[in-house]
Amino acid sequence: MYQYTQVDQQLVNERVAQFRDQTRRFLAGDLPDDEYLALRLMNGLYVQRHAPMLRVAVPYGMMSSQQMRTLAHVARKWDKGYGHFTTRTNIQFNWPKLEDVPDILEELAKVQMHAIQTSGNCIRNTTTDQFAGVIADEIEDPRPYCEIIRQWSSLHPEFAYLPRKFKIAISGGPTDRAASQVHDIGLHIVKNDAGEVGFEVLVGGGLGRTPVIGKQIRPFLQKKDLLSYLEAIVRVYNLKGRRDNKYKARIKILVNALGVDAFRELVEAEWEQIKESDLQLTETEIERVQGFFKPFEYDASAANDSSLETKLAEDQSFAHWVRQNTVEHKVAGYRAVIVSLKAHLKPKGDISHQQMDLVADLADKYSFGEIRSTHNQNLVLADVRQQDLYELWQILEEANLARANINTLTDMTVCPGGDFCALANAKTLGIADQIDAKFEDLDYLYDLGEIKLNMSGCINACSHHHVGHIGILGVDKKGEDWYQITLGGSDGEDASLGKVIGKAVAADEVADTLAKVLSVFVEQRIEGERFIDCVRRIGLTPFKENVYAPAH
Amino acid sequence: MPLLINRELVDNDSWQLVGEEALENNELPAGDIIVPLAFYQENSDALINHDGEVAIQLTGDDEIDGVLENPSQFPLIAIFIPALRDGRAFSIARLLKRAGFKGQIRAIGDVSHDRLDFLTRCGFDALEIPADRFSDEVFNAFSEFSVRYQGCEDDSRPVYRQ
Ligand code: HEM
Ligand code: SF4
Repeated sequence: MYQYTQVDQQLVNERVAQFRDQTRRFLAGDLPDDEYLALRLMNGLYVQRHAPMLRVAVPYGMMSSQQMRTLAHVARKWDKGYGHFTTRTNIQFNWPKLEDVPDILEELAKVQMHAIQTSGNCIRNTTTDQFAGVIADEIEDPRPYCEIIRQWSSLHPEFAYLPRKFKIAISGGPTDRAASQVHDIGLHIVKNDAGEVGFEVLVGGGLGRTPVIGKQIRPFLQKKDLLSYLEAIVRVYNLKGRRDNKYKARIKILVNALGVDAFRELVEAEWEQIKESDLQLTETEIERVQGFFKPFEYDASAANDSSLETKLAEDQSFAHWVRQNTVEHKVAGYRAVIVSLKAHLKPKGDISHQQMDLVADLADKYSFGEIRSTHNQNLVLADVRQQDLYELWQILEEANLARANINTLTDMTVCPGGDFCALANAKTLGIADQIDAKFEDLDYLYDLGEIKLNMSGCINACSHHHVGHIGILGVDKKGEDWYQITLGGSDGEDASLGKVIGKAVAADEVADTLAKVLSVFVEQRIEGERFIDCVRRIGLTPFKENVYAPAH
Repeated sequence: MPLLINRELVDNDSWQLVGEEALENNELPAGDIIVPLAFYQENSDALINHDGEVAIQLTGDDEIDGVLENPSQFPLIAIFIPALRDGRAFSIARLLKRAGFKGQIRAIGDVSHDRLDFLTRCGFDALEIPADRFSDEVFNAFSEFSVRYQGCEDDSRPVYRQ
């Protein structure tokens, strides 16, 4: 993975010192509240229900074992012993003290980590496919471009005060595991007719109050033009995006108001002015950064393993886990392992400091010392020899990190909701428990097949409920928590927004309502059909009828 | 109000920003003045006879394509920052620089410590800081960072071309 140069390290160190000074001036009363608010947000610091919340960047989801150990240390020393992975592959700490934050940041800087631009109206962490570099269906590894964008966007002097937050995601190939179509900018690595590799560029996706799927503004962009084109888009947005209403300030609103064609014209005109400038990427720079993401020296004999076959036949629980929680690697004899942070009746995406330390050790032992976080709030050990899977599984199982539920109903993506978040309309954690309790039977889950369930505690959509196959949105009705259910969303290459099935249901009825939805699916599906495909084929009516049928 | 030019405090500034009342009554003070773009456009003929130099003030809402066609007709262009969160000034300054503007670009309005460095890098050479936000500490703002990734108006070379 990427290693800091002296410049990278210096910049992060100086940012820590700057933030320490900003916090000092704030505590001394020299910096007005609203000004410190904007500055601390740009450094990942929110103030929440119980305490400040610090969001630490995990650039494009990549962590070393050493970084993970530092996160464990932070959780132990300054928090209540755990952290929460988010849908943008970052990690949040819910209990730090404001005065401690500069020290936490200093500790993080020692292992090349920071909280720069993890919040605020600026360019956020660029996210990508959790299987980048190890999956056969990608055209090229997107991570070098993520890193190039990270550097360009970090402390960009012109773009620190955008109308609203700005998120970029890159997919390395035709299968989109980065939810790129619901980002402000989505980049897809593509090959053109001449066989050159470049980017398809989408703009104006986003969720929140007004969910929108991104629109293509350029079918093919050469690699060397990546930064100049991004700069053109963000400049147009910075100048023309609305600033009078924060709910209408995202780029999606601008693109929709102008129409994508008019928006494209503005971007292309701006780009004309700068495409030949120093912003043009050099071949040397691309190669330098690519050098950090070279394939590992894989064990050539890994493919000769026959022990896996035997174990799979012997141990059914293991076989389930391998089927659900591991993914084919492009190198024979290896698999990518998903470490489930969706344990039964535990807050989704949460991880204890002991688990962090353990995952770090496992990464060192089995997966070249690297760990990835996914936008579905799980972790990945991307390069595990198949002969090691059994041993690894046993250890993960012991640590409650091997629930074999990936891509099933209980692999839910859930925001912290009303228990932690000051913006919430409703709680989410208890509802997730209710769903866990109702759908505990793994055989039933496997029979249902692939289902993505996303639940947000309010319209801000931190957990992407609009693009869950099943989406649950917490709403407030006269001080009570109610839940609105949507069906048919997807954040993949076939991205779509879910549709509401009807009036919200009460808190104690959520799991039962899901059971009614799923029974329609079980009845109506054709052989091998996924839930989402069935919803698309038969439409919402049969589901509505079953959910809202008058009681007998 | 304290004014920094090229990162140093100056006290002999000849420019006066014309207030709203004076604009409404068309009572312009003598000497070098700064007037809003709209006022300038409406009164450009009369302003030719003004006793002193005339500069314009832009805001993020102004349509500035006309200004960009020939910015150097002005000796100074001020950009008004209505609020901390309004980042349009950064882009406007860069567009002026790109259009070949060589005169002074002055930041006025909500200008304080934590934006001074970025403003300077985007091409502002004059920073007018409200008195209650000024202290000797603001000079630290220019040395908080010794490294940077992006090219900008101070140096067009990004880190990979340095
Ligand atoms: C607990 C404190 C949190 C607060 C105060 C918060 C606040 C917000 C707000 C206000 C928005 C809407 C922004 C807009 O539409 O312009 C938003 C969006 C978002 N948040 Fe959070 N959030 C929090 C935690 C999280 C967590 C835990 C996650 C991940 C599980 C997350 C991921 C996201 C994502 C992915 C979006 C973007 C949705 C979109 O594209 O519009 N946030 N957040
Ligand atoms: S969706 Fe709402 S409740 Fe959930 S974390 Fe985001 S802002 Fe908070």
